[in-house]
Amino acid sequence: MSGGGWIFLIFSWGVILGLTAFCFIKVFSKKEIK
Amino acid sequence: MGQKKRDSWGSRLGIIMAVSGSAIGLGNFLRFPAKAASNGGGAFMIPYFVSLFLLGIPLMWIEWTLGRYGGGFEHGTAPGIFHSLWQKNRFIKYFGIIGIFGPLVIFIYYTYIESWTLAYSFFALTGKYGRLADQASMQSFLSAFQGLEKNQFFNGLGPAYLFFLITFIANIWVIYYGIRGGIEKLCKWAMPLLFIFGLVLMLRVITLGVPDATRPGWNILNGYGFLWNPDFSALKSAKVWLEAAGQIFFTLSVGIGVILTYASYLSKGDDVVLSGLTAASTNEVAEVILGASIVIPAAFVFFGPVDIQSIARSGVFNLGFVTMPLVLNKLPLAAIFGFLWFFLLFLAGITSSISLAQPAVAFLEDEFDITRKKAVWIFGVIAFLLCQPAIFFLKNGVVDELDFWGGTFFLVLFATIETILFAWVFGMNKAWEEIHKGADMRIPVVYKFIIKYITPLFLFLILGMWLWQEWPPIIFMKNISPENHPYILATRIGLLLIFAVLAILVRIAWRPKPRQIEKLR
Repeated sequence: MSGGGWIFLIFSWGVILGLTAFCFIKVFSKKEIK
Repeated sequence: MGQKKRDSWGSRLGIIMAVSGSAIGLGNFLRFPAKAASNGGGAFMIPYFVSLFLLGIPLMWIEWTLGRYGGGFEHGTAPGIFHSLWQKNRFIKYFGIIGIFGPLVIFIYYTYIESWTLAYSFFALTGKYGRLADQASMQSFLSAFQGLEKNQFFNGLGPAYLFFLITFIANIWVIYYGIRGGIEKLCKWAMPLLFIFGLVLMLRVITLGVPDATRPGWNILNGYGFLWNPDFSALKSAKVWLEAAGQIFFTLSVGIGVILTYASYLSKGDDVVLSGLTAASTNEVAEVILGASIVIPAAFVFFGPVDIQSIARSGVFNLGFVTMPLVLNKLPLAAIFGFLWFFLLFLAGITSSISLAQPAVAFLEDEFDITRKKAVWIFGVIAFLLCQPAIFFLKNGVVDELDFWGGTFFLVLFATIETILFAWVFGMNKAWEEIHKGADMRIPVVYKFIIKYITPLFLFLILGMWLWQEWPPIIFMKNISPENHPYILATRIGLLLIFAVLAILVRIAWRPKPRQIEKLR
């Protein structure tokens, strides 16, 4: 895999995992639905 | 309307799992990796992320908000929701029919394809295709199973029909128990299981190393490289941008109508901003991390850099039902890994198909005030009959035709209508306020501009490009062999009839009731 390939893989996985972790941390710290 | 209490979600995690379950389908594991590999590799992620943030996530928020808004008026489907949004316009509810028609049409063929994954899970465990070692024999196994030919593997549609019946009954069973007791319960165990299966398969693929020492180039790193190495020249092609936008559409389940229905079971003060974003990001994990790490890298390792080019372009069925079982057959514990692969697809399929059934059921419940159980029976009988042409006329192109109308064209059209309604008719200021009711996080204010201008523009662009590039050959059946023309025409007439029946039902549902007429006097 080329350097460019690694950059795109790490960037894409980073954005998605970061966003998902952010969301779930917030979901579990907030109120339940009524 | 409104004589009985509407169903509701039991927990926040429940609706997040259900919406992400609806979004995570066969496309995450088969369509995305093939599209990325054929459209610029890593560079494909540029238009993909642009589409995700400018099209997918805004549409997700729009649908969650519209659904919750409509639920407040006891409407769980687009005709009622659109009518609540623009009460002065008596025709707008008819545009909402697409939000019931689209999912129903997709359900008709999707359930059958989903049943193949259940059948192959069984075949994997029993070793029915375990000795097949080349593309040709695996292809004829699939063709015979689908009833396209008779050979030593199958001599009729019987087994496929049996697995269809099991899958169909399983779907109806889940919907029968409602939002909380059926859909939520299933998604809360099926989604974690799907991620566990996906993770196990991904780890197995990553640890493949160099299976054949005589071909050191056929290794897993190069397999990942085939999918991720960027080809920036692809970005000059409008087709690549369109493919990325299309993928975002299909993967997030937006423009279908199912999110509207699911969100209609929320209460007025429930958050939609964070929940919607969480469901979208969960879907992205399944697609970009798990989906991209299984089929294509594994196929590269066993078929090499030349054959992988044609494999990536061979279509999702070929990837899932021919290439992947061949790859897994080469591994120790092939039966177990084969089962994990196909049952993962089955879980992805069933959590999507139940969501496709729910709008029609909700329409009957909400607008005709009938019980869920009765609505499910009516839906079950009608949907069962409608599934038959997809099963028996697969070889005549019926499924492709249904997929074009239900799963492609109406999706984009519906998303365009709801975005215009939301941002322009309802009004962006009111819409912004509505989105943020009970919100657990604020949306960056730039999205006010994006939802009002960029998302509709993007949608018009996609619609325009399709009309220009793809419509003429499809409408005039240029790529269909003449002997299949009658089947395609019959499918189109059937679709028109379904649409007409839905229009009549909407008209009946909105006819003034006797008590209302009394009041008017």
